[in-house]
Amino acid sequence: MSEPSGQPLIRFTGHRHLTTRLLLATLTGRAIRISQIRSSSHTHPGLTSAEVSFLRLLDAVTNGSSIEFSMTGTTLVYRPGLITGSAEGLGAIGGVVRHELHKECATRGVSWWLIPLCVLAPFSKGNVNVILHGEGCITGATPAGDVSADTVRTAILPLYRHFGIERNIELRILKRSCAPGPGKSAGGEVQLVFNHQVRLPKTLHLLNAGRVKRIRGVAYAVGVSGNNNARVIAAARGVLNKFVPDTYIYSDVSSAPLVPSNDRNNPSGKMKGAVGFGISLVAESSTHCFYSADVASPPSGGMPPEDIGKQAAYQLLEAIEKGGCVENTALDTMLCLMAMGSEDVGRVALGRDVAGSEDFVQLGRDVKEFTGSAWGLRDGAEDKEEVVVSVVGRGVGNVGRKIA
Amino acid sequence: ARKMHRRNRPFRTEDLSRMMYNLSMTATEVVQKWRGEEEEEEDIEADEDDDFFKKPKTAQSGEDEDRYIPVYDYQELEEKWEDEENIEALKSRFAIGHASGKGGDED
Repeated sequence: MSEPSGQPLIRFTGHRHLTTRLLLATLTGRAIRISQIRSSSHTHPGLTSAEVSFLRLLDAVTNGSSIEFSMTGTTLVYRPGLITGSAEGLGAIGGVVRHELHKECATRGVSWWLIPLCVLAPFSKGNVNVILHGEGCITGATPAGDVSADTVRTAILPLYRHFGIERNIELRILKRSCAPGPGKSAGGEVQLVFNHQVRLPKTLHLLNAGRVKRIRGVAYAVGVSGNNNARVIAAARGVLNKFVPDTYIYSDVSSAPLVPSNDRNNPSGKMKGAVGFGISLVAESSTHCFYSADVASPPSGGMPPEDIGKQAAYQLLEAIEKGGCVENTALDTMLCLMAMGSEDVGRVALGRDVAGSEDFVQLGRDVKEFTGSAWGLRDGAEDKEEVVVSVVGRGVGNVGRKIA
Repeated sequence: ARKMHRRNRPFRTEDLSRMMYNLSMTATEVVQKWRGEEEEEEDIEADEDDDFFKKPKTAQSGEDEDRYIPVYDYQELEEKWEDEENIEALKSRFAIGHASGKGGDED
């Protein structure tokens, strides 16, 4: 597959939407060339460590991918291979791919790797079982705007149900960690088990956002007093109780993860990873649409738990108010899966603000580059609050499962 | 004149579908225009004036990384959600109390 099959490279510029583009390239099997990656930056031109790490992860779950960088890392050519998942002998040991995120990757939360990986997983040839660990693995929400692993588990993974992908999907948070300050390490660990591979995801028709019937959440305290959790939860409930009586927020208190201290005198020494606390809130509607919110304490500290709880609650209300069946966080996941579906028109209703986001427009353009089909937009049926997006599936689906 | 009038009305679905694949505009511009947030003429002129100086500025300024969690002004949000009117307006999006079973069945 990695042979230049006469199809020209698809060209992109800039570092934005890098994961989405790589994801679409892998799913469609088209080679891409991304140039001018941060070429205007004088201090950090080229790919970041996190982005290189993501490429390595792609390499680990595929067979036959080829990745070429230019000297400065501002140009990248990626020829995708077959998505094999955690096949033995191809990066996996004992059926598990262990992918280490280095200290420099701590600029992004682990969800930044997980969300695209989850989209790849249903199209894999074999089962997917990946452990992300290391000093750059942050399970909490980060200041860079990545959601926590809890949100991925409770708000993103259930979305796969709409596509008929629901069995044996699990995200285990083995070690929690929060965003570290500059120069510090995180040291979290998560395991993604995704054992439901499909030939084609079902065509989605999701036009009714329903009503929010319950709110669930996880408050996490890592290496700090569990009292923080109680205060975060109390503040969040204070805002949300007016809306839904069925609110339940779990409290998870864990000790700080241990990371190698890199001390020359004591090579086996360990020190504590980043500490902090935060909350992930997820609202579920009667039609299984999800809205999420995430706030964590900043690495510099100095933010009272009450503020964090309140901010999370407001963020959640804001997401619910935007409406539609898909929130911003889940946009990539839902629309990529729709675009990869059978050759049929799938429809989904989006809130005005979600459809009018830069991410949505860019995603639409990128998908058109790869699949050649444009999305149709029209007004929602009942009130004009929503935009209905029609996506024609590509009908190729899982190449590895074609015969089976 | 009619064209101008139409253009000034933001959030029209047709406009978005037309602009979405107009590659002469960046995604940011499309969104801004669709929301009716910017005065186009002014912007174009400014671009012509100091195109050379402006480019590096926009590339460096601000958060231009991808993010999932949107940035909010929480002070503003707090005021918004303290307001009874807004709370009442949003309550229709929730299945409250006895209506929860009914609301779920209807949909």
